[in-house]
Amino acid sequence: MLEVSGIGKTFHAGTPNEVFALRDVSFNLLEGSFLIIIGTNGSGKSTLLNAVAGTFPLDRGTVSLSGHDMTKWPEHRRAKLIGRVFQNPYSGTAPNMTIAENLAMAARRGLHRGLAWAIPRTLRSELRDRVRTLNMGLEDRLDNDIGTLSGGQRQALTLLMASWLKPDLLLLDEHTAALDPKSADQVIRLTHEIIKRDKLTTLMVTHSMQQAVRLGDRLIMMHRGSILHDIQGAEKARARPEDLLQRFEDVRRREQLDAPVAEMLRNTYV
Amino acid sequence: MTLLLGASTVGLILALLALGVYLSFRIFNFPDITADGSITLGAAVTASLLILNWPPALATLAGFFAGVLAGTVTGLLNAKFRINGLLSGILVMTALYSINLHVMGKSNLPLLEETTLVTQSESVFGMLFGPGDVGVFGWEVNQRDAAALCLAAAMVAGVGMILYLFFRTEFGTAMRAAGDNPQMIRALGGSVDFILIFGLAVSNGLIALSGSLLAQYQGFADVQMGIGMVVWGLASVIIGEALVGSKSTGIVITGAIMGSLLFRLIVAIALRWGLDPNDLKLITAVFVFLALVVPGALAGLRSRAGRAR
Repeated sequence: MLEVSGIGKTFHAGTPNEVFALRDVSFNLLEGSFLIIIGTNGSGKSTLLNAVAGTFPLDRGTVSLSGHDMTKWPEHRRAKLIGRVFQNPYSGTAPNMTIAENLAMAARRGLHRGLAWAIPRTLRSELRDRVRTLNMGLEDRLDNDIGTLSGGQRQALTLLMASWLKPDLLLLDEHTAALDPKSADQVIRLTHEIIKRDKLTTLMVTHSMQQAVRLGDRLIMMHRGSILHDIQGAEKARARPEDLLQRFEDVRRREQLDAPVAEMLRNTYV
Repeated sequence: MTLLLGASTVGLILALLALGVYLSFRIFNFPDITADGSITLGAAVTASLLILNWPPALATLAGFFAGVLAGTVTGLLNAKFRINGLLSGILVMTALYSINLHVMGKSNLPLLEETTLVTQSESVFGMLFGPGDVGVFGWEVNQRDAAALCLAAAMVAGVGMILYLFFRTEFGTAMRAAGDNPQMIRALGGSVDFILIFGLAVSNGLIALSGSLLAQYQGFADVQMGIGMVVWGLASVIIGEALVGSKSTGIVITGAIMGSLLFRLIVAIALRWGLDPNDLKLITAVFVFLALVVPGALAGLRSRAGRAR
């Protein structure tokens, strides 16, 4: 399904700010599996997601999805196969356009956009029906600008948009990190529902150990641009937040980080 | 009356410029200075072809497409070569100055003897209403003025309508989204580069069309006629937004047209009252400056007043 092999990316190469964001990362993902990616700040987890999405050209390695070698494809071409939800709730929607217009664009993700009406009558009732499933009362506000909604509402809509046409791969980049706890729960529940219903192959980056153990059937821990741990199956099912934190702790000890940093990690992640 | 009629006609012709500027400045947030060159380009191409006895409709269309080409170049410079948007526009505008001189062969082309869209609509008018002046609400109006006004109004109404409908199509919504949130449209499979190039092409096409009509109405094309036109178009768009006070596409398009009309009328009246024509561009620039700054300053004052209470 998704094959990532030997990808590497160095930002600001040859300058004092050189960052080895990804070093020789490889993994395969089977159809229908749900991979969680965790790691400290700067570990390369978001960079990995962006490498798959095609946000920047890679230095080394290849990315292929559903049998297509996408390595040379620009971002917008990959969008034909990939649905995305960003960390920033404002990134996934066009604020000065209506809910209906935003959704209608998602209904043509990766398809040719011609001179047909953006919102034909038949689409309108479908919009209404599918927005109703969010249980947010937004089905009566389809003609409101999406910029008037809360972050949680926008993120729920972005999720709906990313999965409107079943994507071969769904990318979730800490998509609840910027939300208040209640909205985050709501969006996570929705995420779970949609992925289960459509059997979506998913890559999800998260900061939350709770989400990391509760969701997904496989877990990768990134560190300094490499995969540090890769657990799946029964081992993933058994994992508890404490185990994951222990692994961060191990990393800390190995690298002799200060205790206050570890304390900070603990506070951030639990 | 002739003064008002003439001002309205020019206002409507320049409304096409305003629509082009609206497309680049407001839809894409792209400060496209190419406009100063492409409005002259439209005039130059149309005027040269009219002198070669091309049918006016074709000569006008050619002017439009010359603008499309200019906009495409600006778009390519920005999207493909990653040159800053403002600089892309300046480069093309500067290059166009020489190109316009080449197209025209000299710095001013009179069209007094040529058949233009304006003279054609004048003869249509003559057939419809008979020779002589036309009575409008009790005023006797010169036939040429009335015909030109109707021509300009029809063109602007047509273009405005097409633009409004276009923005409701799949591609048109994608274009608005590309300006509103490029990251989003990329994630949904739209090529922001292509959309931007296409948008700038249409924008400059409309601006060149405006120049083409202006040359036919004034009866000449001049290599200097484009100077400051971007600011003029921007002023129209800003007045339009103030007039309609809405962000909805259809209303904003109408607003830009009304803004251009109103701005031109105000200027005509001010000139009549003795405003020095040399000060016109300075006043336009100051006006745009005030329009950009005053709303923010007022909002700041209001919130400060609110806090004081």
